[in-house]
Amino acid sequence: MRAPLSWLREYVTVDASTEELARRLSVSALEVDRIIDVGVADIDGNLDRFLVGRVLEVVPHPNADRLRVCQVDVGEGDARQIVCGAWNFDAGATVAVALPGALLPTLDVPLDERELRGRLSRGMILAEDEVGLGPDHAGIMLLPDTLEPGTPLVDVLPIREQVLDVTPTINRVDLLSMVGLAREVAALLDGELHPPEPEDPEVVDREPVEVVVEDPEGCPRYIGRVFRDVSVGPSPQWLRSRLHLAGMRSISNVVDVTNYVMLVYGSPLHAFDRSKLSGGRIVVRRARPGEALRTLDGVLRELDPRDLLITDGEQPVALAAIMGGEESEVGTETTEVLLEAANFEPLGILRSSERHALRTEGSNRWEKGVDPHLAEPAAVLASRLIVDLSGARLTGHVDVHSGLPERPVVRFRPTRASRLIGMEVAEAEQRALLTRFGFDVSPEWEVTVPTWRARDVTREVDVIEEVARAVLDRVPHTMPLRRHVRGRLTKEQRLRRVVEDVLVGAGLSEAYTWSLVASDPRPDAIRLPDPMSADQAVLRTTIVPGLVAAARTALDVGADAVRLFEIARVYLPSGERLPEERWRVAGVVRGGYATVKGVLETLYGALHLELRVERGEHPLLHPGKAAVTAAGWLGELHPTLLEGTWGAFELDLADLFAAVPERVVYEDVLTYPAVRQDIAVVVDEEVEVGALVDAAREAGGTLVREARVFDVYRGEQVGTGQKSVAIHLAFQSPERTLTDEEAAELRERIVAALAERFGARLRS
Amino acid sequence: MNPTELERRALSAVSAAATSDELERARVEYLGRKSELKLALRQVRDRETGMTLNALRERLERAIAEREAELERAELDRRLAEERVDVTMPGEPVPRGHLHLITQIRREVEDIFLGLGYTVVDGREVETTHYNFDALNFPPGHPSRSPLMTLFLDEETVLRTETSPSQIRTMEAQEPPVYMVSLGRVYRRDTPDATHTPIFHQVEGLAVDEGITLGDLLGTLDYLLKALFGEDRSTDFRIHHFPFTEPSVEAYVSCHLCDGSGCTVCRHSGWIEVGGSGMVDPNLFDVVGYDKERYTGFAFGWGLERIAVLRHGIPDLRELWRNDPRLLEQF
Repeated sequence: MRAPLSWLREYVTVDASTEELARRLSVSALEVDRIIDVGVADIDGNLDRFLVGRVLEVVPHPNADRLRVCQVDVGEGDARQIVCGAWNFDAGATVAVALPGALLPTLDVPLDERELRGRLSRGMILAEDEVGLGPDHAGIMLLPDTLEPGTPLVDVLPIREQVLDVTPTINRVDLLSMVGLAREVAALLDGELHPPEPEDPEVVDREPVEVVVEDPEGCPRYIGRVFRDVSVGPSPQWLRSRLHLAGMRSISNVVDVTNYVMLVYGSPLHAFDRSKLSGGRIVVRRARPGEALRTLDGVLRELDPRDLLITDGEQPVALAAIMGGEESEVGTETTEVLLEAANFEPLGILRSSERHALRTEGSNRWEKGVDPHLAEPAAVLASRLIVDLSGARLTGHVDVHSGLPERPVVRFRPTRASRLIGMEVAEAEQRALLTRFGFDVSPEWEVTVPTWRARDVTREVDVIEEVARAVLDRVPHTMPLRRHVRGRLTKEQRLRRVVEDVLVGAGLSEAYTWSLVASDPRPDAIRLPDPMSADQAVLRTTIVPGLVAAARTALDVGADAVRLFEIARVYLPSGERLPEERWRVAGVVRGGYATVKGVLETLYGALHLELRVERGEHPLLHPGKAAVTAAGWLGELHPTLLEGTWGAFELDLADLFAAVPERVVYEDVLTYPAVRQDIAVVVDEEVEVGALVDAAREAGGTLVREARVFDVYRGEQVGTGQKSVAIHLAFQSPERTLTDEEAAELRERIVAALAERFGARLRS
Repeated sequence: MNPTELERRALSAVSAAATSDELERARVEYLGRKSELKLALRQVRDRETGMTLNALRERLERAIAEREAELERAELDRRLAEERVDVTMPGEPVPRGHLHLITQIRREVEDIFLGLGYTVVDGREVETTHYNFDALNFPPGHPSRSPLMTLFLDEETVLRTETSPSQIRTMEAQEPPVYMVSLGRVYRRDTPDATHTPIFHQVEGLAVDEGITLGDLLGTLDYLLKALFGEDRSTDFRIHHFPFTEPSVEAYVSCHLCDGSGCTVCRHSGWIEVGGSGMVDPNLFDVVGYDKERYTGFAFGWGLERIAVLRHGIPDLRELWRNDPRLLEQF
């Protein structure tokens, strides 16, 4: 909402600059997005060059068909001659004048005296757009004839203005109004509040107003007022200017009054052309199947049976609280007006507004829950203005409701407030604050909530908030006492960091890829019923495809040694309402099977685990170069996925970490030396070297400290279909030095076992 | 033979030797098997002469050894002087990976709170509407409940829209006191642009204990903001509104670019909004069965990407998900 300061200060007297005011509001009440400077610059006496003038004489310009030469009294004694291009006035008109030297917001240089087609012009008669008071340039501004020529224009119109652009939070619809903002300013800056106190026009020639509310839950209150002899026309300049500064468009006096009063009180109103209401009555009800309404924006809307409507008993005439119908719109020919000052239930309005994708100044307030008590002052002020501005007579009034809500009463403990805030706030101050915010506080601290906060403040803590926000910038910064805390990561969290660090150390960079993907290898992966895009429709059950895409990005920008990993969740269908969320680590690295296996050996080593793999298969992997482990899989990426040779892996972290020892226990490898021996055995090509190593360990028993393949040779010397596998063996006992004989015997046993199980023969 | 004269000649020859060859020649001449001294030693008959000559031999040997060390050192110095490299040549590359910027920030925030005695809780990402909305006191018409803002799996299941469900799950799982942070992915139906991605990361903080105050919240956030943005930053707190806190407070830090004087980054306000927080709404305590008279608490939920943007000047959040190595390797 945009709140022009001159308007706000009409309702509250406060000794504070705009900046101070904005600061207090932003700390304690609502977000102040910015302060907008509008209109004429206030420098070097510039404002003094804008005056009220009275046109004494107007004659056609002898040398120009479209110009006229005016004599204007600006209170200087002698009249000024001003050449003017506007035609919407005659002698006797009261106008706004800028004198030579004036800086206008629309011009780069000061106004000067100059001849226009041979006639001297000593100033300018102003249109509203020339001083930031409106969009109109069709004619000059006409001011009330009661004004004295020479009156400073700034006293009459907000030509020099600052506007607060504010956004209240969803619970503070009361601040979407000038009165609400003024009350807040008065309370926070100890100002004096003067809300408008309009005098209700008298009802003359009273006639009945028929209003039937068939859905009192949707419409708890409906004030209907009828006006006759309405003369619809342009609004006076002050009204046009205020609406313009508040960001609204001037339409006509009657419509402008409804918008203006909405800005004053925050309770939206609507005006119908009563002659367009068949039967001249109002029925508030839900829509019927098949009904439609052409709204003011020209759109024909099919109505939903949940939509609340204002009807004339036969046809819908407004989508209640959101937008009026085109048919009953007030126009220049309107002479009878039915003014609606009502109250609507928020949730239904919100739903209708969403259904019709139609948000208006009205719906924006109603959907947050407007105080039903406001309908009455809104009706009064609007009536006053309609009567004053359009010459109408108020001829009828009805107020339909079945009792207005009681004000909540809350038991409040000022000591509790001080305790929660963490600062002693004197009881007298608490009482004064609450009172200024509009709460009634009994001597026993029974707090009665003002009507405009009744939805938001219902509990003691809500009242505490009122005190807390007012003193927020005085609250001392402290730390919780923390008598009982245990600040440490869980084992899994610590190990996740180890995994991250080891992989980074191994040259892998961490990527972040989307959890929502276009498709997933698992056919039962969870699919969003209404995804934002086809690219993000499925909750992934594997991370590697995302990393493949990331690797492709890296290739596209010219990187070559691409090594990526990611630690993230996957979402496995569980048969329950919620999927099973598992942490996974996955990687994609340039290079073949040996590269990725090397990465995992490093990772497992860092975790004090032995990487054991078996031949396996996975749809993302090369069928001949795929392996599984207890925690996941690794292998060479299927060549159709990414050009070049790539390794990939994906491990379930809980499975991986399950085997990580709680602590590593000392093993004596220092006291007695190891005996090292290398053997080379020739076996059939199909024999996996892992099986040889396992068999060697099994045969050698606990004294085998190390058994590791370090070379595989194929060639003429070993024959086709066979390979020679070189294995490094180390024997060691923690209790004694092994003798050469013992080592030889272990070696014999191992060679014999390999011969027996794999037909291995020792290569000399 | 005159030992004094011999010693003078020998020492002068040793110190005159400029190479190891010359030194060797001097050694042969004065200490070799056929040298004057050796011949004289062989002919010694009396004890006194023997002692004198042996002492002389030892002195010469020492002088030769010293000269030898000097020459070797000079030789080494000469060789090393020739082995100069261009020290500005690049080193041999050692492969190094990089943690993602968001992970670095995640760890930093975790460590800050671990240091304050908080635990780190892993929340879940797919949540029921009970944990994501109802238990967090979201009113029925709250915009977040709309499928226009939230990704639903079905009517009662959503991708969590904030890390706050971890508050409820943590409190359900334990009795007070609670001091925890929970970090992870959250999901919103936001069309990707420079400042929005449909998936992003938040840190949730929750402290529930006897006597927790609004001042404790402000003090904790002040500490966090200064740890993240620098001790010289100012902090500011302004009232706000969230369903699950009452009162609610938005935290601001003085703009790091203009230091509060006003620039385009802070929209000429001097302040940058960092995230929301507040005192735990007692309705949440009702949900989890905590005694709301006895316990109070505070909570906050901030975006990690926002910290990345503010602190590192990331101009477009989508870049954090594109995994361009040129960006990953900057951090």
